[in-house]
Amino acid sequence: MSDIKERAPNQLMIFGIVGGLLGIYLTYILPLAGEQLGEKVAIFLKTIAPVAGALGAMCAVVWGADAVRRVAKYGLGTGVPSIGQIAMGMGIVAAMFGLAIVKTLVLAGPIVALITASIIGFIIGWFAQNVIKMKIPVMIRCMTEIAAAGTIIIIGFSAAVAGNFEFANIIKLVFDNGVILAVFWVGAVAVLHPFNACLGPDEKQKRLLYLAGSTGAITMAIVGIAATMTLGASGVITLIIGIILWLIFYKKFWDEVYNDAASVVGTGLIPKTEA
Amino acid sequence: MVAIDPTIITNILLIAISGTLICIAVHFIPVGGAPAAMAQATGIGTGTVELAAGSGLVGLITASYMYANEPTASMVLVLAAGAMGSMVMLASTMFAGSLIYAFGVGVPFASAQIKKDPITGTRQDIYMSKGTQGQGLPTVCFVSGIIGAALGGAGGGLIYYVLVKLYSQSVLIGPSAAAVAGVFTMGVFYVNAVIPSYGVGGTIEGFHDPKFRRVLPKDAFTSFVVSMICGVVAVMIGGGLI
Repeated sequence: MSDIKERAPNQLMIFGIVGGLLGIYLTYILPLAGEQLGEKVAIFLKTIAPVAGALGAMCAVVWGADAVRRVAKYGLGTGVPSIGQIAMGMGIVAAMFGLAIVKTLVLAGPIVALITASIIGFIIGWFAQNVIKMKIPVMIRCMTEIAAAGTIIIIGFSAAVAGNFEFANIIKLVFDNGVILAVFWVGAVAVLHPFNACLGPDEKQKRLLYLAGSTGAITMAIVGIAATMTLGASGVITLIIGIILWLIFYKKFWDEVYNDAASVVGTGLIPKTEA
Repeated sequence: MVAIDPTIITNILLIAISGTLICIAVHFIPVGGAPAAMAQATGIGTGTVELAAGSGLVGLITASYMYANEPTASMVLVLAAGAMGSMVMLASTMFAGSLIYAFGVGVPFASAQIKKDPITGTRQDIYMSKGTQGQGLPTVCFVSGIIGAALGGAGGGLIYYVLVKLYSQSVLIGPSAAAVAGVFTMGVFYVNAVIPSYGVGGTIEGFHDPKFRRVLPKDAFTSFVVSMICGVVAVMIGGGLI
């Protein structure tokens, strides 16, 4: 383990928070900037803005997957999926709170959501560690990180479908038509799947992060399909970029698997036995 | 000091109680996890969260159906509808699972935690395969699962009932109250389904399991506190406090 260079948790945390928030805020700022720059630029920026939200959420997926990896390594006893689901559960509660509570101060929404998620995650982590007594040293920190990543994922993908992160807008375009369920579930799978698929004695962070990139990208593609319904052209761009990123990351993951495997052999077809 | 409306406190407490109900419900449901999937432990062969959430979300659907068709329905009726939907869902899951365990895998149903089934009085240990922790779903597990599903469905229904009333008065949410309340309920549900599953460590047979008494108080306490925070958050989304 020690001879393999790994990305530090803090590095990934900064990547997730900064990348995630940047993407989310770009969905709001790009159209505003466009209005200052003239009509043609405005239309262009307004079309590509929602894509940034999905890209930001992808950064959070990578961060969240690594946090899941660090905590689930200890063996939760309930399977890795449970932690992905609690991440989204905490994330969605915090996201709705953050976006709704700020009212006219729209820009503060995602940050309030992030802070709320961290607090809820910290409390659940503290209780898991000290009341339920799970005896996992990284529990509190990882639960906080997972909740925060969950809320960025929810807001990011919701912004990609709704165009921006104003709560009224998200209610109309994400909640009323049920897209939030897809965001919730596919987002949860994106976070939990990488470690669930890679766990084991030969698990390597690099391979897991590439897989996290690919699950994030496929989520982006699915969100793109939903966004095509709500936003039209922006959705198509999200869908296409999602598929391209998925192909890139999946190829990288594939290469890593080939690299790490002792040998790769074809088993051929199952031989037909004679009766 | 700002005077806080007593209905707000009632709402927060109701959400905390329903979260605790969901948490208690999980302890009743016989989950065996991966060992049960290989018929090496008693219970249904999947995770705690999947079962609790699966049955609870069906309860949520039936509760919201009741509310949508009869907005004047009393709280008891909405809770009963939730409990019923949840019970039907879990009973059919357990029944289908039992068919597979009995006729597909071919194992006799036995519990490792007790000597005699408290309901039927049948001896369990003689039916246990060596090296396993019981298999299938004995009667007591089935009954326990039904009780758990009823509690979970009622808990989910209760959060929904409180929130949909609260949000339909909100200026911001108004007409979308059902969607927002449903999604929030789902979020609280998942949190409360995962917390006890960490407590029980993945497998539990039902109320007869010694683990039940050992872990229930601390899990319920945790869920109560966490759900109360969720309740405060939920009330504030509706614009109740500010």
